[in-house]
Amino acid sequence: MIFIILALLALLGTPLFVVIAASAMLGYNSSEIPLSAIPIEIFGISEMPILLAIPLFTFAGYVLSESQAPARLVRLTEALLGWLPGGLAIVSIAACAFFTAFTGASGVTIIALGALLYPALSQAGYDKNFNLGLVTAAGSLGLLFAPSLPLILYGVVAELPIDDLFIAGVLPGILMMVVLSAYSLWINRANRRPISQFSVAELLRAIKETAWEIPLPFVVLGGIYSGYFAVSEAAAVTAVYVVAVEVFIRHDIRISKLPQIMRESMVLVGGILLILGVSLASTNYMIDAQVPEKLVGFVNQFVTGQTSFLLMLFLFLLVLGAILDIFSALVLVVPLILPVAAEFGVDPIHLGIVFLSTMQLGYLTPPVGLNLFISSYRFDQSIVRVYLATFPFLVMLMLSVLLITFWPALSLVLLER
Amino acid sequence: MTEKSRESGQAARGLLARADNVGRIVENAALVITLSAMILLGSTQIILRNFFDSGFGWADEALRMMVLWVAMFGAVAASREHRHITIDVLARVLPDKAKGGVTLLVDALTAAITMILAWYSWVFVADSYAYQDRLLNDLPAWIFQSVLPIAFLLIAYHYVIACLRQVRKLFGSAAS
Repeated sequence: MIFIILALLALLGTPLFVVIAASAMLGYNSSEIPLSAIPIEIFGISEMPILLAIPLFTFAGYVLSESQAPARLVRLTEALLGWLPGGLAIVSIAACAFFTAFTGASGVTIIALGALLYPALSQAGYDKNFNLGLVTAAGSLGLLFAPSLPLILYGVVAELPIDDLFIAGVLPGILMMVVLSAYSLWINRANRRPISQFSVAELLRAIKETAWEIPLPFVVLGGIYSGYFAVSEAAAVTAVYVVAVEVFIRHDIRISKLPQIMRESMVLVGGILLILGVSLASTNYMIDAQVPEKLVGFVNQFVTGQTSFLLMLFLFLLVLGAILDIFSALVLVVPLILPVAAEFGVDPIHLGIVFLSTMQLGYLTPPVGLNLFISSYRFDQSIVRVYLATFPFLVMLMLSVLLITFWPALSLVLLER
Repeated sequence: MTEKSRESGQAARGLLARADNVGRIVENAALVITLSAMILLGSTQIILRNFFDSGFGWADEALRMMVLWVAMFGAVAASREHRHITIDVLARVLPDKAKGGVTLLVDALTAAITMILAWYSWVFVADSYAYQDRLLNDLPAWIFQSVLPIAFLLIAYHYVIACLRQVRKLFGSAAS
């Protein structure tokens, strides 16, 4: 009964950390654990070294999105891919995926890149609904690529090596990009006119213009995989590098604007980590109350093997993604489904990729799909129109997610697991 | 409303507005200092380790403390702007008349829960003080832990203010 009231309060707009904290308090109270154990759990935030990566990568992503880097990125991708028939759609998909990996799928992609791509796509003669759908759907593409925030958070919650997750996300992420690109080409088969001729001179100009940003992914990923630095150190390097380039070398951002960018990015980080902190407390209670064991027993009644488990997981995550944002879902649900998945022989790394890619669909599904709202606001279109325009892309992504779910090798082959 | 009470009401509002400004400046300063320190210390560590084969022994623990600090300061800043992560599916479709009451209920609940969190965080810090817990090369742990009660108290403060504003909005016209 009390949990129904809490759920209702959440749906009415109570901050999620409050709802989770309240449920932890009720749980502790009923098991006669003193409530002062809750702040001890929240203090646990300071006991996870990997969390350092979250504020640093988020800040770097915010700096990038405030600079002219998105415009330069679009120009470079255009010079590289613009000569392809239907090239601009592919340009949009590639640029969005790359940018989202660095900004952590918080809707920044649509704001920073969508504003450039949407008018460009219209100019190239694509259908208006197609453009709207493409920009909205591509806004969370790249979630599976390093160093995206949800990928790091999954590693934190599931206690898995982050670099393994970074590798596991590569092929499933590429699959999603390929599927969306193929769909875009097929839809626009009548409008195959390339937006530009391939020109070595333009490519060199674009490379020169982006010369300072191009090394970034190589520094970050190369540094991690070569063992020069850990993930959290890579985040520090990224932050320093991005500030040096965009503020001191490129002069895209005035130094007096940095405090505001820091504040904006830390509002997001504070929101996410506070939810993580209180859910450490509530998870602790649920494990104490043997909720995962009960969950295994419950699931066993309906599910007979791995395949049916994965199907049920997919449906469950689809509903979950429609009502809960990816960060809250990660910290609340992952600790509970990990033991269940292990019971059915699902690899925890594969589970993570399935979890994140299915939750990615949640960005595009009503009622709370974040991308739908941001697009509707950013491009001044009704939410219903955005939803209808995005629907075919949602279907395409859903097919890719099904493939990712039932083909574990796609996530695991590069890890040789 | 009499002339005098109106004046004192305005004075109180002026004081609140000033507290609001000072609060924002302090928040920003705390966020900027902590985040900058994290970036500098984090990158210094890498340089020291890779090029000079050394490093500060206390740096990793200090960085972890700063993550907690920046997160709590960020959470306070999010509270000021009402930008915590919410679901609010129902809130979107509520009729306008009900919205005001629901906002008041939600803000009051948030204030209450965060006050309880602040209180038990205080108990946690006081215990740690009494037991003389140590962190980071023998510094008293309560210094680092005290960010919890302070941040929760500030979050509660922001939601109490939001409640008061909402009450005035809902019942203010009837009162005057």
